[in-house]
Amino acid sequence: MSVAADTEARTWLDRIRALPAGPSVAIMNVCGGHERSLSMLGLRAILPGHVRIIPGPGCPVCVCPEEDLADAITLAMTGDVTLVAFGDMLRVPINAPKGEIASLAAARAAGADVRPIASPQEAVAIARAAPARPVVFFVAGFETTTAPVAAMLAEGVPDNISLLLAARLTWPAVAMLLEAEDNALDALVAPGHVATVMGAEEWRFVAELHRLPVAVAGFSAESLLAAIYSVLRQKQEGMAFLDNCYPELVRPQGNPTARHLLDEVMEVTDAAWRGIGIIPRSGFALRGPWREYDARLRHPVTAPPRRRQGEMPPGCDCARVVLGKVQPDQCRLYGRACTPHRPVGPCMVSDEGACHIWWQAGVRPH
Amino acid sequence: MIEDTHVGLAHGNGGRLMRALIDEVFARHLADPALDTNADAVSIALPDGEIVVTTDGFTVQPLSFPGGDIGALAVHGTVNDLAVSGARPLYLTLAALIEEGLEISFLDRIVASLAAASRAAGVRVVAGDTKVVPRGQGGGLYLALTGIGVRPVDRRLGLGTIGTGDAVLVSGPVGDHGIAVMLAREAFGLSGDVESDAASVLPLTEAAGAVAGLRFMRDPTRGGLATVAHEIATGTGKIVELDEAAIPIRGTTRSVCDMLGYDPFYLACEGRVVAVVAPESAEAVLASWRALPQGGEAAIVGRIGGAADEGFARVVLRTRIGGARNLPELESDPLPRIC
Ligand code: SF4
Repeated sequence: MSVAADTEARTWLDRIRALPAGPSVAIMNVCGGHERSLSMLGLRAILPGHVRIIPGPGCPVCVCPEEDLADAITLAMTGDVTLVAFGDMLRVPINAPKGEIASLAAARAAGADVRPIASPQEAVAIARAAPARPVVFFVAGFETTTAPVAAMLAEGVPDNISLLLAARLTWPAVAMLLEAEDNALDALVAPGHVATVMGAEEWRFVAELHRLPVAVAGFSAESLLAAIYSVLRQKQEGMAFLDNCYPELVRPQGNPTARHLLDEVMEVTDAAWRGIGIIPRSGFALRGPWREYDARLRHPVTAPPRRRQGEMPPGCDCARVVLGKVQPDQCRLYGRACTPHRPVGPCMVSDEGACHIWWQAGVRPH
Repeated sequence: MIEDTHVGLAHGNGGRLMRALIDEVFARHLADPALDTNADAVSIALPDGEIVVTTDGFTVQPLSFPGGDIGALAVHGTVNDLAVSGARPLYLTLAALIEEGLEISFLDRIVASLAAASRAAGVRVVAGDTKVVPRGQGGGLYLALTGIGVRPVDRRLGLGTIGTGDAVLVSGPVGDHGIAVMLAREAFGLSGDVESDAASVLPLTEAAGAVAGLRFMRDPTRGGLATVAHEIATGTGKIVELDEAAIPIRGTTRSVCDMLGYDPFYLACEGRVVAVVAPESAEAVLASWRALPQGGEAAIVGRIGGAADEGFARVVLRTRIGGARNLPELESDPLPRIC
């Protein structure tokens, strides 16, 4: 954040405003960091009226399967393991019957050894500190989280650590949205953070297969506005190509070392997204010899069946928020029954959830 | 004579030890002809004007932090509440709740700092009380102060006087106290060179008070600038517009906030003033503040907008690149026990 950067951002904004007004353009972003920047900058209030920016699948915690979370809670409650997870995950609710443990935070309060962590290194440190105690690392995240976890395994971890993997890829969800009959999207701002690892090229399919403008952006105002300008301009000119508005950090092929390690340790599988269903080739699983670190094999525990298993909590529209079908404040519960203080669904819990971000940016129910 | 190195329960039991503690620590530093340590009550003389009273408790952790300590903070906090109401603070009363085990030399430093702060602010501590609570039942030291001041009868300040178009000013960078106390807790493995802004704001409030067109003042303590803005919005039913680019924030405060996900607009200040001023007087108040050592970075940071629809109090932040969003009310303080 600097004066020069702000000036550059304002220049992009002026260029966007100078474009001739046209029919409504729906631009999706698929990154919680993008949505946070856009919301905190108050950009929606000053973009031309025909430009709509829609938050899409940018929150891995929001789509973490309810079953995986229920299994994690069950495992933690056995008392036999230390369960570590990124802080966001702890307050995400499952559809437990009333009065039963419905989140990792509740399990922790009930005495389970659940610990929030901020990095894979912390998981390793916790495992090293107590070598006789099994440590289960519950991993929900996109490629940016999964790659460091793969690197962590490849570097060597203590024997007492294992992974409960609920990691997801970003682009397959976008592909699914664009392939749908009712798709009403006109352009995509692609996630620069993911692209630093996986490469900008991963997003070329949007332009080539679906004929939609796509631009990779970072979190900064100037990068985001440059990307929004790029896709609007492409749209106006009737073009569709892949533009990289974050060239400082994003290379066409991403980070070869990180991708190599990811590929060595994990394979891509079909995977469930909470409230959405199976998305082909959208999840990660441990590959070959690395399966010995699979927590499901070491600690085969399954949560008892529940009503609404796999779904979002009753009344919660998170799944459609994640898919960009409704805006957070169109959910009946937004800001009423559901606030960050008492969240109903995962989108109000996670820092990357659109509901939480909109709330923090001051959007209140009308 | 105090023989002990640490405060014990006996120092609060009304006997000889308590007398020694009061005389050698409290009375010694607070030396004042009106402070009769044997009397139950004192009489005070007040000049003409409206009498203004405030009371405040202090539980900050840690007790000492870069740029201040609980003693000076308590004086400034109490004096500032009087000052922003337009009054001249004159007297303080002091209740000290000491936890058994507190080092007497540390207590002595805190009381010395409290005394120095009150002398600098021109207020006198005229009555006091000490209690000792058992170990584990207090955070080392809690202070409770009452302040008495006098306001000129013609100085009419208040939310009711605020009108659309009025300017919003702040006397210096926001959030320094919050960040300084937080870093002093060392809970985050960070350290920085931010000092608390804790100070008496009396010079600022007196300077502003001399300008006709001053409508309202507040010191943005807990909840920071955003919370004062909400108070104004709620109290007036008008939209308060803040201009992000104009709000002074120190570089270190901003980087620590970025790193930890805090919003500096919600962080406590202990030596700043937010003022609402008639538009034609804004520059005069600004100039009077900038002429003071503690107001060098004062700025006009916003204006009072039109009536909010359906009584929906709103603070609108004009972002640094020209965007706009609501600055919501603080949900829960990210940094408890800041004052
Ligand atoms: S507001 Fe709450 S209940 Fe509604 S979609 Fe968002 S998280 Fe779910």
